[in-house]
Amino acid sequence: MTRGLVALALCTVMLVAVQITIISPLRIAGVVVMVVWLWPVSLALTGRTVVSVGAGFVTGLLFDTHSLTPFGLTGVVGVLLALAAAQLGREGVGDLDAAAWWVTPALAAAAGFAAPLIFVILGFLTGHTTLWRGNLGVMMVVNAVAFFVLARPLTRLAQRVAESGGWSRT
Amino acid sequence: MASARTRRGVLSGTVAVILVLVIIIASGGVLSGIKAAGRAVVAPFAWVLTEVTRPIGNAFAGAFNYSDVVAQNRQLRAELGRAQMQGNESSAMLQQLEEVTTLQNLPFVGSIRVVTAQVTTNSPTNFSASFTIARGTDDGLLAGMPVVGNGGLIGRVVAVSAHSATVLMITDATAITGATFGNGHTDVLINGRGVDENVVATAVPLSSPITPGTVFTTSGLSGGLYPPGIPVATVQTVLLTPGASTYDFSLTPTADLHHLGYVDVMLWEPGT
Repeated sequence: MTRGLVALALCTVMLVAVQITIISPLRIAGVVVMVVWLWPVSLALTGRTVVSVGAGFVTGLLFDTHSLTPFGLTGVVGVLLALAAAQLGREGVGDLDAAAWWVTPALAAAAGFAAPLIFVILGFLTGHTTLWRGNLGVMMVVNAVAFFVLARPLTRLAQRVAESGGWSRT
Repeated sequence: MASARTRRGVLSGTVAVILVLVIIIASGGVLSGIKAAGRAVVAPFAWVLTEVTRPIGNAFAGAFNYSDVVAQNRQLRAELGRAQMQGNESSAMLQQLEEVTTLQNLPFVGSIRVVTAQVTTNSPTNFSASFTIARGTDDGLLAGMPVVGNGGLIGRVVAVSAHSATVLMITDATAITGATFGNGHTDVLINGRGVDENVVATAVPLSSPITPGTVFTTSGLSGGLYPPGIPVATVQTVLLTPGASTYDFSLTPTADLHHLGYVDVMLWEPGT
């Protein structure tokens, strides 16, 4: 359990560092790929709801400490994505070893497509009405494609972390 | 055995809580404290990643883009020569302008001290146009100070720590810049539209003589965010709705906001 938590914490912090130092400057079609949202989705697809929700919130919060966007909003989007993906993960949908190779990437792509839109809608509901400016459509498509490509390696890592913690599918 | 483990856990937890509280108190606010704590957690990992990946990136860039680097060097030398010549020509005009603005009791941009700062990271997200610089309160920076460079106004400092500061660019969707043009009789508000987008000015009276290429400069109105006379943007397209009594403009920032290596922070506070 402790080993799993340490691994989870290390992976989460490392992923935020990778996002900020490598992925954010590497814009694709002018868009930042938000790997900090893919991490909770990957964890959730292994079926660990509580772990993925917690990781989604912490990852988003750590990312928000480096951003001028409303504090906590990235974390809330991570939580919502984790909750949605965990519904499928608990049933074994998106399992890397059991399902077809494309299922996990396709689910991740759907999450990547929806995530920027959820962020903008939540921002609007909390009074931050300027977040919709910019090219939202391009953001959604680029994130969907990037999540499709990165889903399998990141979900494999999430599976290792979950197994090291001995957490069951809940 | 279990109790010893529990004690260790409680001790570690207590130390962590005390560290977070110290950071929160030292940084002067709960939210800024939480942000400082979060940055402190990620910073060592980010530093290691940067140190590891930078040489690899430089090696690839050097190997594949050597001829481009040589060409850019020649071009930059030519541009530097032209800039030096223009600087010499304009020094006399600047002196005249300084005399006029002093007579009007306005601060003169050319006489404000600046601190040059290296841009360390660009905005990590799609939703804010900002970047971080490697200068902070230790170098005299305060929140609200204007940031210029690359040919014009870039933005202003919105958050500052001892050794770094965050700059909100004029293109950010929340940024509003007071500006004027021509003879300075018409004041407009320039709004950001988001990362990599042009800025806009709306509801400008039709009586104002504006053509594509007209330069807007900061107005420096009392209580404004910027001193007067800093170039902000040039008119790219004029949008005129039939029957309307005002223009709208799409403007291109005069500063090249895509290639920021170093910027100048003006040691000027709003309201001074």
